[in-house]
Amino acid sequence: MTSSGNSHRGVLLDVRGLSRRFGEVLALDDVSFQVRGGEWIAIMGPSGSGKTTLINILGGLDSASRGNAFVDGMDVAALSEKELTRYRAEKVGLVFQQFHLVAYLTALENVMLAQYLHSIADEKDARRALERVGLGDRLDHRPSQLSGGEQQRVAVARALINQPNLILADEPTGNLDDANERIVLDLFRELHAQGNTILMVTHNPPVGALADRDIRLEHGRLAVDAELAAREHKL
Amino acid sequence: MFGRLLWSLLRSSRGRLVVAILALASGGAVISALLNLEADVQRKLAHEFRTLGPNLIVQPAGAGTMGSAGAPSLLDQRAIRSVEAAKIAGAAFAPYLYVVAQAEGHSIVVAGTWLDTAPLLAPWWKLIAGNWISSRDNQGQCLLGRDAARALRAGPGAQLQLQAGNRSLRVVVEGIFESGGDEDGQIFTALDAAQSLAGLPGKISVIAVSVPGATSQTEEAERKLVTALPQGEIRPVRQLNEAQNELASRLHLLIVSMVVLILALTVLCVLGTMAALAVERRHDVALMRALGGSVSCVVGLFLAEAAAMGAASGLIGYLAGIFLARWIGWRVFDAPISPRWQILPLTIALMTAVALAGALPLQLLGKVRPAEVLRGEA
Repeated sequence: MTSSGNSHRGVLLDVRGLSRRFGEVLALDDVSFQVRGGEWIAIMGPSGSGKTTLINILGGLDSASRGNAFVDGMDVAALSEKELTRYRAEKVGLVFQQFHLVAYLTALENVMLAQYLHSIADEKDARRALERVGLGDRLDHRPSQLSGGEQQRVAVARALINQPNLILADEPTGNLDDANERIVLDLFRELHAQGNTILMVTHNPPVGALADRDIRLEHGRLAVDAELAAREHKL
Repeated sequence: MFGRLLWSLLRSSRGRLVVAILALASGGAVISALLNLEADVQRKLAHEFRTLGPNLIVQPAGAGTMGSAGAPSLLDQRAIRSVEAAKIAGAAFAPYLYVVAQAEGHSIVVAGTWLDTAPLLAPWWKLIAGNWISSRDNQGQCLLGRDAARALRAGPGAQLQLQAGNRSLRVVVEGIFESGGDEDGQIFTALDAAQSLAGLPGKISVIAVSVPGATSQTEEAERKLVTALPQGEIRPVRQLNEAQNELASRLHLLIVSMVVLILALTVLCVLGTMAALAVERRHDVALMRALGGSVSCVVGLFLAEAAAMGAASGLIGYLAGIFLARWIGWRVFDAPISPRWQILPLTIALMTAVALAGALPLQLLGKVRPAEVLRGEA
């Protein structure tokens, strides 16, 4: 499941002066930073600091009011609706706090859905992706028959199935108990080790400490962009 | 995967879909029954109208009214062969020669005809005593109209002496009938016997022709007879034909109006269910959009669900409509309406269109903003 475009260590994501205004509220204010391929970035900050807004823009789910966000050389902020649809299908893998699986599809079908929306569904590939996240025996289970951790692992398998350049995770462990949080974080650690580029929104400092870098937002502005300490000091 | 998704979608909201399918299938059943009725109504009407008697009269050229014995113009009996040669599908006909004769001191109209056929052309004739005559050439027997029988005080088996000028004819009464019309005062004998009585061998007054089918078939038959009988005049029984036409076009209008009304009502029923379904599906649409599904791909999936539902309902409705049409046929025409397979694709197409029109709220799902819905803000 190694991402196709992440093996290099060049700049994969280049955010320049990104702003997003909702009426009178400036949710993001002139944010700039760069991410190299294969990096794991933790985006932290208090509620309302603009973390989710940033992830939504980078994920092609929202548009910027000003500035640019280049992903693999493509300016997400300048894409048309149609181009954004292709961008979401091909360039990014989204993992949500609420898992957001389709309730009436099995784990396997949830992964195949992402394939279908991208191009062509391949059951063998989807099956392999679920086996990689340890759900080989849960293929035909519906979300309601899976634990929270298992559901999030299905969501991770779905996010990776189309080999995206960038994995965007919005509080992926926010709804999990400690045991499931550990399982999911191990999964992200493994993905990172395989060279995947991850941007993860988190409130949780120990989770944030797993990342290579910590980007902190406050009132929509970039407050800290810090390289974290060596891996041996992380959780 | 499309089929797999579609099947999962259909199974996921079974409750709502059952309601929608019920509405669609009910509409489909009534529409299918009405369309079957519409397709069959011309035939049924023609059948009903033929029970009111012949719809074409062949008479001598220039004759304004039916002739009677002694009338200046009569048809040659060879005209019968010309009617046969015209080969009008399903047509029945009988020649008539009318003679005024004296019987038991009464002046009475004698109609010479084919005694086996005349009652068939007038199915409303009711036998009230004796028997019908099954032989066309039986010169010794006659049928008596009710009033004639009363006037002559004759019953079945009675012998009558008919006198026209210096010619006479002795016949035995075989049956007495009631028609409710002029025939009640007449005596019906074999054609040859009437010709002998009138001294007009080989002559006839008119030929009454009963043509089955729609008025277009009657018009076609009229054209054929005009060509086959240049010496005759073909007179359509206009009241009958016009009444049949009028009733057919009124029924057509009624059926078309009802089909349109039912389609509109079904759309409204489906619209309510689909609106609820659209609210239910917003999250799925937002998620599919977030995963890179285009508006056309995602909304198309849900519209395909609606179309599949409409098609299935059309099939169910068509089958239910056959029974409904049969029931209507028995109740209204005393005969079943024959189901037509051509109505099946039409019913399926109509119910699919209705389902898609009712699925209008699902098309609004294209406007869903994934970020807001997935965050639970919309």
